[in-house]
This record gives sequence, structure tokens and C-alpha cells, in this order.
Amino acid sequence: MDLKERVCDELQKEVPKGASSTNFNTQHQQKWEDPSSTLDYSTRIEPPFQAFNQTSQTQSLLLCNNQIKVPMQDGSINDLLQASKIQDWDPSAMLNNLSFLEQKIHQLQDLVYLIIARKGQVLGRPDELLVQQQQLVTADLTSIIIQLISTAGSLLSSVKQTLSAATTSLGQCGEFGGVVFPSSAQRLNDGVQPQNAGGSKVSEPPNSIDITSNNGNEQNNHIVEEHELKDEEDAEEGENLLPGTYEILQLEKEEILAPHTHFCTICGKGFKRDANLRMHMRGHGDEYKTPGALAKPTKESSSEPTIIKRYSCPYAGCKRNKDHKKFQPLKTILCVKNHYKRTHCDKSYICSRCNTKKFSVIADLKTHEKHCGKDKWLCSCGTTFSRKDKLFGHITLFQGHTPAIPSDEIKVAPAGTSDGATNKVGSVNFNLSSYVSSESEVQSSSMDIKGGIDDAVGYFSPLSFDTCNFGGFHEFP
Amino acid sequence: MLLKPKMLSFQSSKNVLSLTEDLLVRIYELLAAESDRKSFRLVCREFRRIDSLTRRHLRVIRIEFLPILLGKYPRLQSLDLSACPRIDDGVVSLLLTRVGPGSNSPSLGHWAWGLKSLVLSRATGLRFSGLEMLTRACPCLESVDVSYCCGFGDREAAALSSAVGLRELNMDKCLQLTDVGLAKIAVGCSKLEKLSLKWCMEITDLGIDLLCKKCVDLKYLDVSYLKVTNESLHSIASLLKLEVLGLMACPLIDDVGLQFIERGCPSLKVIDVSRCEGVSSSGLIYVVRGHRNLLELNAGYCLSELSTALLHQMKNLNHLEVIRIDGARISETSFQVISANCKSLVEIGLSKCVGVTNMGIMRLVSACINLRVLNLTCCHSITDTAISAIAYSCRSLVCLKVESCNMITEKGLCQLGSFCLLLEEIDLTDCCGVNDKGLEYLSRCSELSCLKLGLCTNISNKGLSYIGSNCLKIHELDLYRCTGIGDDGLEALSNGCKKLRKLNLSYCNAVSDRGLAYIGRLEELSDLEMRALHKITGVGLEAVAVGCKKLADLDMKHCEKVGDSGFWALAYYSKNLRQINLSYCGISDMALCMVMGNLSRLQEAKLVHLSNSTVEGVELALRACCARIKKVKLFAPLRFMLSSEILEILHARGCIIRWD
Repeated sequence: MDLKERVCDELQKEVPKGASSTNFNTQHQQKWEDPSSTLDYSTRIEPPFQAFNQTSQTQSLLLCNNQIKVPMQDGSINDLLQASKIQDWDPSAMLNNLSFLEQKIHQLQDLVYLIIARKGQVLGRPDELLVQQQQLVTADLTSIIIQLISTAGSLLSSVKQTLSAATTSLGQCGEFGGVVFPSSAQRLNDGVQPQNAGGSKVSEPPNSIDITSNNGNEQNNHIVEEHELKDEEDAEEGENLLPGTYEILQLEKEEILAPHTHFCTICGKGFKRDANLRMHMRGHGDEYKTPGALAKPTKESSSEPTIIKRYSCPYAGCKRNKDHKKFQPLKTILCVKNHYKRTHCDKSYICSRCNTKKFSVIADLKTHEKHCGKDKWLCSCGTTFSRKDKLFGHITLFQGHTPAIPSDEIKVAPAGTSDGATNKVGSVNFNLSSYVSSESEVQSSSMDIKGGIDDAVGYFSPLSFDTCNFGGFHEFP
Repeated sequence: MLLKPKMLSFQSSKNVLSLTEDLLVRIYELLAAESDRKSFRLVCREFRRIDSLTRRHLRVIRIEFLPILLGKYPRLQSLDLSACPRIDDGVVSLLLTRVGPGSNSPSLGHWAWGLKSLVLSRATGLRFSGLEMLTRACPCLESVDVSYCCGFGDREAAALSSAVGLRELNMDKCLQLTDVGLAKIAVGCSKLEKLSLKWCMEITDLGIDLLCKKCVDLKYLDVSYLKVTNESLHSIASLLKLEVLGLMACPLIDDVGLQFIERGCPSLKVIDVSRCEGVSSSGLIYVVRGHRNLLELNAGYCLSELSTALLHQMKNLNHLEVIRIDGARISETSFQVISANCKSLVEIGLSKCVGVTNMGIMRLVSACINLRVLNLTCCHSITDTAISAIAYSCRSLVCLKVESCNMITEKGLCQLGSFCLLLEEIDLTDCCGVNDKGLEYLSRCSELSCLKLGLCTNISNKGLSYIGSNCLKIHELDLYRCTGIGDDGLEALSNGCKKLRKLNLSYCNAVSDRGLAYIGRLEELSDLEMRALHKITGVGLEAVAVGCKKLADLDMKHCEKVGDSGFWALAYYSKNLRQINLSYCGISDMALCMVMGNLSRLQEAKLVHLSNSTVEGVELALRACCARIKKVKLFAPLRFMLSSEILEILHARGCIIRWD
């Protein structure tokens, strides 16, 4: 349904009621909250609509629909423009930020002076104090750096933004949450807040409600994330990240293999997704129901979009390990998990259909089981394919591999030649690599669906080739 | 040449024996014709030893002798088994395990070690296990021909792919071959330079793509008649060494695909896009624009008109030697452009072209003086003027085809006989202007080897006698429906044209037994068509059977008066007969059984409307030959009268039955 029509409809309904506007508005909002609605605008246009209603309701009753539309549109467009203007490079905000930074640096300077002075005076001080001081300094420094980067980052994105359409600029409002542009964030939160409040009335929500209540929110975010994804991809396309230009994180083995990554600080319950954790947290008290607590924590910390994080595999000697000569970093935590399980763990999941294929990632098993038995295109190395062109692509890639002719082993074997059999032994490894490639494709597609709910890190699915599939290619001659 | 040693041996036998072995080998190597070599090895034991030591090539006609022959020739490099399609896996395994200098010696199968070339065309009985044994036994194999092996499929291809040194491979009409088999070949034989895949209908773009990626040395690729699309051309365009590309009658290829060829295949010399429905002149423009050094362009039956844009591009083809634009509309001015720019043209094909006039031909030949082959079939408006111009300008003309050019008379032939003394082949079928006088002029071309005079009703024995006395090199003569030809003409022919191999006498009603007796003198004759000669009887056929020892193909449909004595003779003497057409002949059951059972090389027989034979007779005859017959044509109602057993046996043996 078109937005305009909808607004007019609502107005017409108002006529017989003629009730006070505020009451009506809440009712109104709830209607619009309808999770199935796909219009992202709904929540955002609310504030001007409210204002409009309050000021000129009586007038509007007399006017015909067409005439009402005009101010409505104007109002909303103005708002959009306003929002995007704020998003556009705002010199005053920048100045604020800079002066704030200056202050901080001065403070830090003072602190260091103080430390030096004290050092000179007292010699026999315990080390504990020194350590505390150091920590203080580093903490301050990091916060300065983050501020600086975020300031610079806002400038960067605003340049991009001028090129993008108004809708995407709206979407971006969410991206720059509170920190840099408090005003715009405020606006957004205003719009989002009532929704969440409505959803949170259920004390301990099961997953389904969790999703629906978040839905409108997620849809907003979805746009944001898509946009982010594009940005990220743009950056990735030319990705030949020089060593040192990105931050390398290395998770420990236990961390990687842990079933849950997000834990409730109160009851200790573990969750795979932080969104689920946040929903869970609401049950622990009202302070977790605020929009701030319910917003994506990654949003706030990712207010520095230019810091590129890359991950290293903890397995020594692995190409994905940061100490490897030709180190190729992994892009996301999910990549790390899948890579580690696929490459360095036992394959404990066995296909129940063929009883031969083993997997270490359960998703791989599931995708295999979908196609198991359908693979009739067989390579001499033992790998099977569901499609002829995939087999031929494989043969093109690997030297010496040929398509195997069904039943030729049975018939030819007595005659004394079975090049297929000898090849098989040598190239079980190929099996692995080729499977991985196919799995990652499937996964990435499923990731798209999950993406809206999952945290942003997980959203950048391991679509990229270097994460899994062709990495193995060089290792096998 | 061949008389020399004989003469020497007569004068003083010491001289011959004193010749050292290497000198004898040199003499032997100078003998080109197979018949000369045969005479050489019949001189004495020493000569035969030389023959067996130096012989490189062997073409076997009878599989029975194969084991002995292979044991005799240790230096064999090339073996042609296309004439014995009965070869199968069992024979191969026998040859490899039993044939050697001494039985049970370690060098068993030694003959295969040096073998480089193997022709297995039509060897339908050979399957993967036999091929596998062969490829394993022949480590030096470079060239294999398995064309028309209907059973050749992926598994056979897999067996063949272990011949890693393979450079040339012909797989025409291997109907069972799919992309998988081709992939086997492509991966296994990566040194392939020449590959022909005509009529391998199962091959798709995927196979071609893989082939082009794996066999980068390909110089010759023929994918004619395949259902491949422009995708394949995209892959083919990446072949840097490709010189010859055959795309004949590929229905799914169009101008867009040829655009890839424009940018790829930098070494391309020869391209054949004839009968490609999707290709138009704009596609050819792409090809011509990208390949200035093209030598051969074959675009028959795909152009409706030789457009000016294409002609404009063709100006750059200075090296072009062969162009065929059969079936296109062509204007007189285009001849001018071609002759002015393509000066090195050697062959022009203008068969069934519309707009070919005397003026056009005169303009064409004025500059293209190197022309050797000219095809003007069905260019009806050609007259003696054009022929004279051709004869005058193109002195080195070798082949001229003017079928159905009715306006050619003895004047044109006079010019040809005066100037084109190198002429070897001329097709005058359906040129009713040709008469005895014309043949007299033509007989001055003493190099003539192929003469087609079908439907020239104005020639008589007299004209044929000129040919017989002057054109001694003729090996193919077509006298189809030359009703003026009689026994005297054949007498003259048999006196002169001793090399005649192929003769068509169909519907020459005047020919009688006496004429066939003259035919019987032609020892080289292998192919005789004599349909509907109502005068001939068993006597004539007997003469032919006795005389023409090499007869392999005999068509005597509607020779109703030939009696059993002739067929008995045929069964007894014509041991080399491979194909026979006995339809509408009065052959009896006994004679039929004899013919079919006794002729051990017989592969194809047409046995429709045999008035004197019964169902039982046909059944017996089929039983007698079921082990070797490959193709048989039978009267349709017999399908239900013959026992199902014999039909099953024939089917199991791979025999194709055509019901008429």
C-alpha cells in the first residue's frame, strides 16, 4: 500500500471519531507496527506526522485528501533532507569533536607530566601504581584514537553519501549511532522506541516473538547492512591489504570451538547470537529494555568503520596463521570457525545416506545430504558432481584428472589397468577442497537470509574465495 | 623402373647379386606404385627380403593373412586395417600374444613396438579391451583413425587415451562418443595436433571447451555437423596454433560466434563454414577481417549473395588460394574484384552459383592464371566463350567441373585440348553438346585420369576410341546412360586404358557379352556399375569375374538375363568382392548361397526382388554370410518370413538390415 494512501485513509477514519490527537496517535502507531509491513518509512515518518496532526488536525478534517497529501509529503521530504543534511558533513559537529579531542590530549599531557614529576620525587614506589598509571594512559590514548578515526570516518562516509539516494541516506542514519551525531540518532531512536516497548511487554519472549518485535528494527538495519556490505565489498575488491594496514585478531582454539559465543552476565546462559542474548537480557530487568541496551552493540563499537579487522587461525603452520610466510587472513569470525573446523578438526559428521562422506561442519553435511545420491558425474579422483559442467570445470582445473566412466572400473579391472583406483589414493585431499568450495557457496546464500538477525560480523559471509576453497589448491600439487 | 632389375638378372645374374643391400634398398624406395613393389618382391628371395626389411606401410585386405604378414615385416610403421572390418578384440589379443619372430619368444607382439600409425576405420568389432591392448603394445603410436567405428564410445576413448604420444586422431562418426570420452582423450593425449570429430553428435560445448584448454597444440580441428554453439567457438578462438578449422553444417553457429574467431586463432589458414545455416556474410566479414593470411575459405551454401561489404574485406586476402562460395548469387563486378586482389587463387568453387556469366568468368581468369581447380557445376549460362577463356588463361588447370553446362560444344573442348594439357579431371555429365569430335579434342589431354560423360547421349564408340587410344592414365570413367556406346567402344577402351579402376556402364543398352569380355581385360578394375544391361548373360559376367581379379564393388541391378553360370563364376573367382547389388536379378537359391557363402570379403549386399529365389534360399544365404556381412538390403515382406533366429544373429553381429 502506498504511503500516501495510507495516511489519507487514516485521516478519513479520524473524521467520525474526532477524538484527541495524542490518543489516536498511539493507536495509530501500533497499527503501523504490523511486523508484516515492509515499508521501512513508517516508523521514521512518524514524528512529522504527529506534529502535523497536533497542529492542524481540525483543518485537515475539512480538506480533501489530495490537499492533505501535499503538506504531508513536504513534511516528510523536509525531514529526509534534514536528516541527510546532518548526515552530510557537519562542520560544527566536527569542530566540537576536534575541540573535545584537543582537550583530551591536553589532559593526557598533563597526566604524563605528573607521572614524570612524581617519578623524580619518589623512587621506592610500588610497581602497582606505575602499572595503573600506564593503563590509564593507554586507555585514554585508545579513546582518542577511536574518536579521531570516527571523526574522520564520518567525513569519509558523508562524501559517499552525497552520491547515494535519499533512501539509502535514511538507512545510514542508523549506522552512525549516537556517538558522532547525537541529534540524528535521537531522531531515529524516537521512532524505534515505541515499537520495542510494545514488543517487550512479554516478559520472557521466545524466539519467534523476539524476531517479530525486532522485525521493523531489523528491516531498518537490513538496509544499513546492505549498504555496509557494499562498502565492505568495494573495499575488498581491491583487497590486497598490506600487512600492518589491518588489525589481526587471533582467537584461541577453545574460543573457536565453543558452542556459544555470547553469555549472559547474570545467569551465565550461552547464546550463539548476540541478538538472542539481548532478547534474553530483557528478562533480567527493565534496564535492559531501553533502546540503547537493545540496539546492536556492534553498532556502537563499529562507529569506526575504517578499522579493518582480520583474523588469524591459531593453528601453527596453517596458511591462515599470521606467522605463515604467505599469510592470508580470514575475514570474519565465522570464516575462522568454519576454516578451523574444516581444516584442523576431525570430521565427525558422517552422511547417513552414503556413509562415506565426512564433514566437520554440520552445515556442510546438511548441504551434502541434500544432494547425496544425485551426483552422477564422477571424476577419476573419486570426487562426484551433480552437474556435468562442474565436473568439467574440475577437470580443467586439475591436471591429470579425467572423468570416470561408470562401471568401467568393474569391467576394466580384470584386464589389469585401473588408473582410477591409483588416482583415488593420491587425491583424497582434493575431495576435501572441492567440497569446501561448494559448501561455502551454499552457506553464503543461506547467510543472506540470516543476516538481518545475526550480528554484523557474521553478515559478511565467507563468500570470498580465499577463505576456504582455493586456498587448498596450492597446497596439493 | 621396375623392369631394370629384371633386365639385369637376365643379362648376368651376378650383377644383381653383387648389388649391396643398401643399394637395393635405395632402388626399392624409389618404387612408388604398389604394383611395382609387388613385382620387385617377386623377382627373387633376396629382393623379397629387402622388401620385408624396408617395408614401412601395410594395408591388409584379408585378415587371415594378418598374422603371417605382421611376422614378416619387422619395421612396420603404419598399419591400415580399414579393409578388414572383421577385426575384433580376440584377433587383437591373438596378434599380440602369438605373432612374433618365434612363438613363445619374449619379442611377441614385436611388430607393434615401432608402429606409429594405425588405421582402424570401420572396425566395428574392436572394443575397449582390444584397443587397450593395442595402445599398450604400441608405445610409439602417433596417429590413429577410428572413424566410422559405430561402437566406439567413451570406454573405447578411455582405452585410447593411454596413447600419450598421439598427435593425430580421427573419430568421425563415432556416434557413441560423448563429452566424457572426449575429455578422456583431451586429458590423456595432450599432444594432439589433429583431431576430427565429424558427426560425433553427442559432443557439446563442454567437451570442446575442455579440449581447447587441454590440447593447446591443436593445429587441425574438425567439428563439422556437431550441435555445438558459439560457446565452442569462444573456446576454439583461444587455440594459438590452430590452422585448419572445420565447421561444416554446424546449425547452431552464427555470426556472433565467428566474431570470436576474428579475435582469436592467430594462425588460422583454412576455415570451412559451408552449410552453416546461421552464418551470413557479416560473419564471414569478421573472419576475413581478423585473418588476412587466410589460405582457404569454404563458404558453400551459407551465403545467399556475395555482398559488396564482404567483397571489400576480401580485397585484403592476398594469399587466398581456395575459395568456395557454392550456391551464392554473384555479380560480374565481384569477379573483377576477386581477380584483381586474390592473385594467388588456385581453386574456385562456384557450383550452383547464380549470376555466373561468360563475362564474369572471363574477368576472373584474366588475372587468376594459376587456377588449377574450377567448379562451375550447374552454371547454365556458361558457353564455349568462357571455356575458351579459361583454357587460354589457366594453362595449369587440373580439374574442371562443368556438369549440366549444356551450351558447351566441341569448340570449347578444342581449346581445352589445345592449352590445358595438364588437365586430369573433367566432369561433363549432362553436357549434351559433347560429341565424338569433342572427345577427340579432349583426348589430347593425355594426363586425364577422371572423365565423367554421364548422360552425354551424343557420343559413340568412335569418340570412346579416341579416349582409349590417347588417355592411357584414365582410372575413372563414367558412361552412365551413354546409349551410343557399344562393344567396340569398350574394346578400344580395354586396349588403352589399362589403369581403369572405376567404370560406370549403367543403362548403356548396346553393351553385350562381347563388351564385358573386353572389360574382363582390365585387371585393375575394382568398381563396376552395369545396371540394366539387358543383353548380357552369364557368359559376360563370367568373363568379368575371371578377368577382373580386383573387383570389389559390383552393381548389376536389373541384369535379368544373367544366369546361374555367371553367378557361379562370380562366387568362384571374385574373391575380393566387397559390395554387390543383385536386386532384380534372376539368381537361384543355390547360386545365391554360393555367392554369399563363398565370397569371404563380402560386406554389403543388396538382395531385393530376386525373382528366382525363395525365402529359404535367402535365409540360407544369410546364414552362410552372417559372420562377415555388415549391411544387407532385403525385400520388406521377408521381415516376417525369415526366421527370427537369423535376424537376431545378424543383429548381434552388428549387421544393419535395410528393408525395402
